[in-house]
This record gives sequence, C-alpha cells and structure tokens, in this order.
Amino acid sequence: MLATITEKVLEIAADLFRLAPERINEHSSPELIEAWDSVQHLNLILALESEFNLQFEPEEIDQMKTIGDISAIVFAKRDPRHG
Amino acid sequence: MIHLVPFTADWIEATRAFNNRVAATGFDFPLEPAESSYLAVDGDAVRGAYMLRRQAVYFHGDEAEAAHFRLPLSEGTADRAYLSVGVQLLRHAMRQQPLLYALGMGGMANPLPRLLAAAGWRLAEVPFFFKVVRPFRLLRGIKYLRHSRPRRLAMDLAAFSGAGWACLRLIQPAVRSALAVECVDQFGAWADDLWWSCRGAYACIAQRDSGTLNERYGGTKYLRLKVSNLGWAVALDTQMRGDANFGYLRVATIADTLSVPGAADDVILATTAFLERRGVDLIISNQMHVAWREALRAARFRAGPSNFVFAVSKPLAARFEDNGQAHINRGDGDGPIHL
Repeated sequence: MLATITEKVLEIAADLFRLAPERINEHSSPELIEAWDSVQHLNLILALESEFNLQFEPEEIDQMKTIGDISAIVFAKRDPRHG
Repeated sequence: MIHLVPFTADWIEATRAFNNRVAATGFDFPLEPAESSYLAVDGDAVRGAYMLRRQAVYFHGDEAEAAHFRLPLSEGTADRAYLSVGVQLLRHAMRQQPLLYALGMGGMANPLPRLLAAAGWRLAEVPFFFKVVRPFRLLRGIKYLRHSRPRRLAMDLAAFSGAGWACLRLIQPAVRSALAVECVDQFGAWADDLWWSCRGAYACIAQRDSGTLNERYGGTKYLRLKVSNLGWAVALDTQMRGDANFGYLRVATIADTLSVPGAADDVILATTAFLERRGVDLIISNQMHVAWREALRAARFRAGPSNFVFAVSKPLAARFEDNGQAHINRGDGDGPIHL
C-alpha cells in the first residue's frame, strides 16, 4: 500500500517538476530539485490533496522534507492505524 | 516543528535575527508585537511571519469582515529547508479569516503572487494611469524611460525642440473644471453622508467613513480634497529626489477617491485640474473600478503598465464576480506607500 502511494506521489511530483521518472526518488527533496520552490511545494500539496481526497494539517506540511516523508504522511492519513 | 504564534515581546530578538537572515528579500518584518501579527517559530527561532489587518468591507452594501494578508515573509526564500513555511503562513491566515486579500506585491512574477495564484486566488493588476502635465520636465527627468543613451538623446531632442511638448499637449491637454475643490483638514459629516449614499453602488469596497479616512489620511502628507458636494479625492504632491523611476520629477498621485454614484468623472476632472494648477509634472493613479478608469480616460489620462496586484482568496472572490465593479486603489491595503 505504501509502495503504491509512493509511486503515485513520485508520478505527481515528476509531472509537476517536469522531471524524467528516473530523476526523482523517495530521497528527493527541495535541496536536490531546483524546480521544487515554495510555489511548486504548494502545487504538490494541492495536487496530493486532490488526488487522495484529504487535507494536510500545518504540522504535516512542516514534516514534508522528502518524497518519502510525503508518501508516509499520505499513507498515515489514509489509514490512521499507521499514523 | 513549526508552530504559528502571535507576535509577543519575547520574540523581538528572534524576529530581528530572522530579518537579518531574509534581508535579501528587501523586506523587514516590523519589530512591533501585535495580536494581528503572527510568527512561524521553530524552537527559539523565527522562520516566517505575516500580519493581518482586519477591516469592514461592503459587498453591494452588505457588511462583512475581511482581512489584508500583509508582508508574509518566509525563511524559505533564504533556505530551502524552510520552503513549506510560506504555505503554512498562507493556510494559517486563511483559518484566521477566509475573506482574505493581498495588494501591491510588485508585479505578477514575484513569489507571493505566484504562490497565491497556485492556491487558487484570483489575481488582477490594478490598472495604472498617468497624465503628463509638464512635458519638458518629464522628457528630461523621467528615469524609467531614459534607460539608454539613444533614448536619452531622443527625449532631449524632443524636449529642447518643443516637439515633445506639442505632441504630449495634443494627446494630454490640460483640463478645466468649474467645480469647487476645497482642501480640507479633516473628513467631516459630509464624508459620512457621501459614504452612506454610495457604498451600495460597489460590488466590493472597504470602509471609507470619516473616522476611517481621518485615521488613514491625517497629517500634512495628504491633500484631502472635497469636490463640491459630489465627492472627494486624496492626493499626494511629492517632489521626487533621485527616485528610480521618476528621478527628480514632481509627481502627484490621486491615491483614493469616492463620489456619489455617476459623479466619478466630475471628481477626477476637478481633482486633475486642481493638481495641474499646483504645477506638478506628472499625475498618476491606480484604479480598479470601471467608472474611475473611464473618468481618468475622460480627463485624458493614459494607461501604463501596472505592477500593483490585487489578489483575493477563493471565498472572497465568491462574494463578487467582477473586479471591475470593485473600488480598489492605492488607498487600500497598506495605503499610499512608496509614493
């Protein structure tokens, strides 16, 4: 389940940052991706909220440092037993 | 972990350090604790800040509270580790007051307008108008247009030959108005009567009763002009001193206006004639409402590029569909600053 979510997050992020799929992975972060600025960060959050039909809390947004972090937060929100 | 907290006195030093870290933005967050100022704090450090200015706004005459989202600053501009702070500030502000707007921001391409657009806000430039009163002084003095040697030579030629004067006078002749314009010390009961008579005519207008106006436009900086019994204008008459755009020109700004319905033309014409008589070189104004834009055109103002952006949150945008029916000018937001 987490792997499926990570795959979708990677797909959305690659599309948003205009990156080839092989240029982005779970460890990717704003420090490593030039196009990942504050505007694109918001776009990513909004795209994920729309895709997964959820709303992130401020403290969750604060924890989104890498694609892996983001995937874990989405996973926990979709199934609170993993939170 | 980032938390949003009100700005209290014990955060002043941390905010000063934050200002130093984001100095490259060219903005300083005021070191004045206030209930309406919020800080994004991470342990002992400030990583972001913004202010809310709550105010009464009227939609076709119906009152509601809205807020101006002011000076959001994020450490994400200096350190990408804090890139999410801007989003957190915006979402926190939206929770405080969903009817949120931002104004100015220096143009659509800047980070804040882009962030607001990404969040689904409705953005528009508040149209900019100018009228040349003294062509010779303008051709010789306006830095904005004299940015290259060939341009400077051409403008000097136009200035000294008189050709520039003739052309500009043809396009933008001086105007006359028979209406009485009185420079007043304060807005009185007459301004309240006017406010009550016209606020329902606008799809969106911030409060402009006498109390609000006297608070905003007190002091000698402003010309408070009562135009007959038809309306008023607030203007500035500023001698520029090496300004990046206007050099050493004397620039008048029609910053704010109000009239009884249907009298915008009369108010602008009378105000323009008054400012022309004072001997300014150039008159400028930003106006969003279609009636005020048409009034400026009727007084022979011309439109120029605007970097003054009006942005409204989705809930606020839902309260009025047409920006052209909203009364927005340099009197809104932070008021007439940088003029």
